Amino acid sequence: MSSLKKTPVLIVATAVAAALSISAAVAMGDKPPASAHVSTSQAAPTPAIAGTFAKAPDPAIPPLAPLGEPPIPPDNPMSEAKIELGKLLFFDPRLGGDASISCATCHDPEQGWSWAEDFSRGYPGTVHWRSNQSIINAAYYDKLFWAGSAPSLEAQAPSAAKGGVAGNGENDLMEARLRLIPEYVKRFNEAFGEPWPTINNAWKAIAAFERTLVQRDTPLDKYLLGDKSALTEQQLRGKALFEGKARCILCHNGPLASNQKYYNIGVPRAERWLEDGLAQVTFRFQYYSKGSTEELYRKAKDDVGLYFRNKNKWDMGKFRVPSLRYIGYTAPYMRQGQFYTLEEVIDFYDRGGFDEDGNTTSYPDTKTPLITKLNLSDEEKEDLLAFLEAFTGEEILMAKPKLPGYEPLFTLAELEAAQAAK
Amino acid sequence: MAGMMTTRPFLLKRGFLVTAALGMGLILANPVAVAGADIGPLPTLKVNQARAELGKRLFFDKRLSGDAAISCGTCHKPEHGYANPDALSDGYPGNKHFRNAPSVINAAHKTVWMHDGRIGTNLNDVTRGMITESYLMNMDMRIMQERLKQDPVYVEMFKAAGLGEPSNGGARKAIPEYLKTLNSEGAPFDSGNMTAEAKRGLQLFKGKAGCIACHNGPMFTDGKAHNTGVPENFDVFLDPMRHQAFLAYAAFLGIENYMNLKRDPGAHVQTHAADGSDMGKFITPSLRELKYTAPYMHNGMIKTLPEVVAFYNQGGGKDRNKDSRIKPLGLNAQEQKDLVAFLLALSGKPLTSSRYVWTEGYPQEYEAIANWLDVPN
Repeated sequence: MSSLKKTPVLIVATAVAAALSISAAVAMGDKPPASAHVSTSQAAPTPAIAGTFAKAPDPAIPPLAPLGEPPIPPDNPMSEAKIELGKLLFFDPRLGGDASISCATCHDPEQGWSWAEDFSRGYPGTVHWRSNQSIINAAYYDKLFWAGSAPSLEAQAPSAAKGGVAGNGENDLMEARLRLIPEYVKRFNEAFGEPWPTINNAWKAIAAFERTLVQRDTPLDKYLLGDKSALTEQQLRGKALFEGKARCILCHNGPLASNQKYYNIGVPRAERWLEDGLAQVTFRFQYYSKGSTEELYRKAKDDVGLYFRNKNKWDMGKFRVPSLRYIGYTAPYMRQGQFYTLEEVIDFYDRGGFDEDGNTTSYPDTKTPLITKLNLSDEEKEDLLAFLEAFTGEEILMAKPKLPGYEPLFTLAELEAAQAAK
Repeated sequence: MAGMMTTRPFLLKRGFLVTAALGMGLILANPVAVAGADIGPLPTLKVNQARAELGKRLFFDKRLSGDAAISCGTCHKPEHGYANPDALSDGYPGNKHFRNAPSVINAAHKTVWMHDGRIGTNLNDVTRGMITESYLMNMDMRIMQERLKQDPVYVEMFKAAGLGEPSNGGARKAIPEYLKTLNSEGAPFDSGNMTAEAKRGLQLFKGKAGCIACHNGPMFTDGKAHNTGVPENFDVFLDPMRHQAFLAYAAFLGIENYMNLKRDPGAHVQTHAADGSDMGKFITPSLRELKYTAPYMHNGMIKTLPEVVAFYNQGGGKDRNKDSRIKPLGLNAQEQKDLVAFLLALSGKPLTSSRYVWTEGYPQEYEAIANWLDVPN
């Protein structure tokens, strides 16, 4: 009798403790070492999630929800003139070093507004070192880039346009170019009311344009808005797994399907660094330019991610949870494009953060306890994959706009008059 | 009396400075004494060969520019006296430049660099300036350093040059060392082999033509900025590719109302005179190696040496800021020819052999470090 009574209590107690530790980790994005070091929670969460959480969702974890309007910052209100200008600028290679690549070169509408290789292509003569993230729905992130180094779209654009392995542009020269394009002088004036284009207004216009690149009518959105036919039976089974056994919802939650926090989920080092000299050049440049200690620069053999920003040892190898929206067009996946298919991604999570060769994170101390072996059956994996497809709607394509040309600022007569007056 | 009172202290001061300079053997380094410096051969420079060899490889290596499309040698062409045959240089892909690329032969003997004299420290700074400037080579030197470290030849050469592993600082030492190897060699003026015509030209240079007032010392320059009334090169303003670089330059250097600027401010970028009286002053260029470095002037506006001499013979160009010493010279045709002959006698042999130019090529790609995981970065 006593043993029969006691057992359920223990199970509940364990489940509650596990759920508490999970919700703490979820809420704080694995920040303090204390939560990461709760060793007893490592094994416990699986039954807790499978058994209790799926049925009674933790209030700390926001459910999946339809995507609303993107937030508009008060210091950069939207206007038609600004959005149209931003579109031109997004496609204009003159906002870069050698005027050969634009934002749209690497964030190619035909490649999911992203780049379909493991590392982004980078500036001519270089290669980037991380996977390029889609512009679609970027408007919803609080911080941009894999380690959240840019606090707004307005701040992300110049980082990309000026970074040595990205746009490699320089403010004065890019601004001068804009001022020698009469169509831009006119459009900047209409959008910002200032006599000349300025580079900061260019970033604002691009950010405004990007806030129009959103997708809010995916099958998932439709389903969540009440169209119960928008998801198939299989997708609904996948949804239950997503919110339960597969544990995806712990991080991929809310309207964006991202809690925008930082975790080390076990993604292994990109193999490319071992084989590609150009990638090795960029790897060291990243460590050099991001302000590493000599020791870190010498020893680093993987991407420390969030650590670059705050230098907390417990943040090594952590990256911001990406949205799952539009992933149908944005392969490959993970920070260095480690996986080319969603099947590989699911298998990776199913193994508890290991690839098919058994490789995992270079920073095991910081790996999140949220990632555990899932034991999904083949059918469950297929159901989950089917549900992941519901995060993607129609492909958003856009023809490259015709760009306005340079014109001389002065006439020959004006120059001759100035010469005569010398 | 009042006049005496104002001029005497000045004379005393000047005399003291010249004496002090002579006493210290610093006549060339002292700015007051330079005005009186005599023309003559250049001093011999001590060169660290291993560093110079490294600098030579760097000078012609396109990986020292942002998109790896151009090297120092792309604009400073050996076959053109390390200058450029175009009136205005190309600059970085994506824009064009707004000035003529000067020769870098004898650059190690200068004390001030750039047509507007904006660098007055050393070639280390010049090297950095050229490599990193957005409209020139647009290189993030932190990437450059890692490119160099990826090339085993550089790893060896930096070590041999005593510069440790490849680094930006090392590159900025090696390129100036290489430039020390680019000196006028065998110029008839230096070797005493001038023709009679050139000798007559020398007398005019020192006398009737008055060139020596500014073109003096072994480098034939006083290292100062003057306005001689060279007309503007309108291509700077009519070609948006050049104008954009000019605007970026003027904006960066704090030129007032630069969007309206229709002339090259020259040394105004240093002195910023409120009344604009320093507009259009340019550093007196060296007269060495002119044989190879046409066209002439900061903007390449004069194509040939006879035309340069004719320009000065007519009293320079029109400019309210023109140096008062630039006046019609009254040289006849023969005198002008003699002067050109003398100017040509200041050019040595071409520095185009493999002693000066890196001819061994470069790897086509960055070889991967095979045991990457096992070696420190």
